[in-house]
Amino acid sequence: MILRYASRELLAHPLRTLLAIGGVAVASAMLLDMLMLGGGLSTSFSELLTVRGYELRVSPRGTLPLDTDVTLRNAEALVSELRARDEVAGVAPVLAANALLETDDEPVRVFALGVDPDEQGVYTIREGAAPRAAGQLLVGAEAAEELGLEVGASAHLTAGGGLRVGRGIGERFEVVGIADFVYASTGERSVAMDLDALARLAGRDGQISFAMLRVPPGQDPEAAAASLSVVFPDVEIASAAELVEKAQRRLSYFRQLALILGTVSLVVTALLVGTIMAVSINDRYRTIAVLRAIGISRRSVLVTLAAEGLLLVTLAALTGLILGAFIARYLESILADFPGLPEAIRFFVFQPRQTLQAFLALLAAGAVAVAIPAWRAAGLPIARTLHEEEM
Amino acid sequence: MSTEPIVEAVDVARTYAMQRAAVEALKGVTLRVMPGDFVAIMGPSGSGKSTLLHLLGAVDTPTRGAVRLTGIDVASLDDRERTRLRLLRVGLVFQRFHLLPMLTARENVELPMAEAGVARGEREGRALKLLERVGLGHRVDHRPGRLSGGEHQRVAIARALANQPRLIVADEPTGELDSRTSESILDLFRDLNGEGATIVVATHDAHLAEGATSRRQIEDGLLV
Repeated sequence: MILRYASRELLAHPLRTLLAIGGVAVASAMLLDMLMLGGGLSTSFSELLTVRGYELRVSPRGTLPLDTDVTLRNAEALVSELRARDEVAGVAPVLAANALLETDDEPVRVFALGVDPDEQGVYTIREGAAPRAAGQLLVGAEAAEELGLEVGASAHLTAGGGLRVGRGIGERFEVVGIADFVYASTGERSVAMDLDALARLAGRDGQISFAMLRVPPGQDPEAAAASLSVVFPDVEIASAAELVEKAQRRLSYFRQLALILGTVSLVVTALLVGTIMAVSINDRYRTIAVLRAIGISRRSVLVTLAAEGLLLVTLAALTGLILGAFIARYLESILADFPGLPEAIRFFVFQPRQTLQAFLALLAAGAVAVAIPAWRAAGLPIARTLHEEEM
Repeated sequence: MSTEPIVEAVDVARTYAMQRAAVEALKGVTLRVMPGDFVAIMGPSGSGKSTLLHLLGAVDTPTRGAVRLTGIDVASLDDRERTRLRLLRVGLVFQRFHLLPMLTARENVELPMAEAGVARGEREGRALKLLERVGLGHRVDHRPGRLSGGEHQRVAIARALANQPRLIVADEPTGELDSRTSESILDLFRDLNGEGATIVVATHDAHLAEGATSRRQIEDGLLV
């Protein structure tokens, strides 16, 4: 009976109800987007770091992987020692270098990765095979499409400090596969080859940029990172969680922005619902006095008015959550070009728990907003209100 | 018949604070309404009729004197108890009907029963019977917006009877109705009284008052 009354009261004033739902829906959408933004980047980054099963990263002391051009020297020994540790199930060394790729057209700049094809976590092959020998090249799908490269095609590649431009300069490579590169940023042309081949080409023999480590099943990556850091004090060994934390520190303004705007949207929700319900309740003082006079309890009046307010917020919040999902998608497409971040990073990640939290926060804001006018109405002096309304 | 009054006002006064001035709406009224009575309170506007009815119906409490409804001193009850007393023992009828516009006739009648905790099936059946009793068996699913003034008041009377109250208190029940409709409402009150209902009506309508078994005149806050 209470819900029936509440829903019909809302339907009795369709324009007012629609405007209120619209207003609260926009605020709800903003709240959801801010929650998605606040936690999305770290969630997405965390997932990306472990997507290929490597939980730890080894990089030069004081840096993050690919943060600088500094490399790890004596890489072969380091990799061997790491592979010998019980805390390590696998090591994927990676050397990164800028390179020039020359096909039949003009040479283009590419980002080259030297990898061990048996232990790699930077790409997923779409077509063909991994580069296992010198002269074999794996090309990123976007670059392959842009440059018209297919499996079996050949290209010249040069890398290192003195990049020279000119037809036929550099080593000749055969494209053996097309792949998706996990950490490539938008528009970045990626290629991969055998680690030794790139080291030689770039003049970086015995060096790697970073290594990715897998820990044995059941082992805690944090504990493994801590243990390995003691054994290898000259390098930076961090778990995915630590890397996410470091990245979060750098991007803390996203969280602050999300917190402030999320709070603003909750306040707006409370003000909107409070205003609408105060107007609606003021219009019904006589009706409420009659209800009280015929024996409807103060509690029932309160519950009915609260149900009306919460029904309004529920409808608006559900609308807002759908709207928020669309807005997040649109914003995501804009932020996809954010410089220096892997293309696979998502700023807005839908998380059921956060959505539920947003929904509950909106309901709470609505409940607080409706409580004051409802409490006042439920406690109005019945006889005097009836008397004044009859006059 | 019981010798205990259904409602009794003993030297009741009611003063309202209105914009810094105190207005004494009732100045010491004593009235006993026995079971089966049909009492008409007559008087000009502002004489204190509605105030007296609010006190008799436990909607308000006196600033002096006592109102005993079915033997219970209304002033001794807290708000929750007084609300419950009104719900179960008093049926209120207003001049302007005051039905909830978004509920159907049947739902309006069901409302006090729902509050009293009557099960859904039972209250639906009882509401239907009450609406048939007031001649609106064919209008049960109509909302007030589609009912005439007389039908509004009939639904309001059915709502007042919902929890089988000991007392019906009606404030100017024909004040908004034409003479023909007023006559039918009077007939309805007479019938209800004939079936044993105790009724107190405040009215300007001499014809309605003539239908009552007892008439009292109120002037300037005093029964004369």
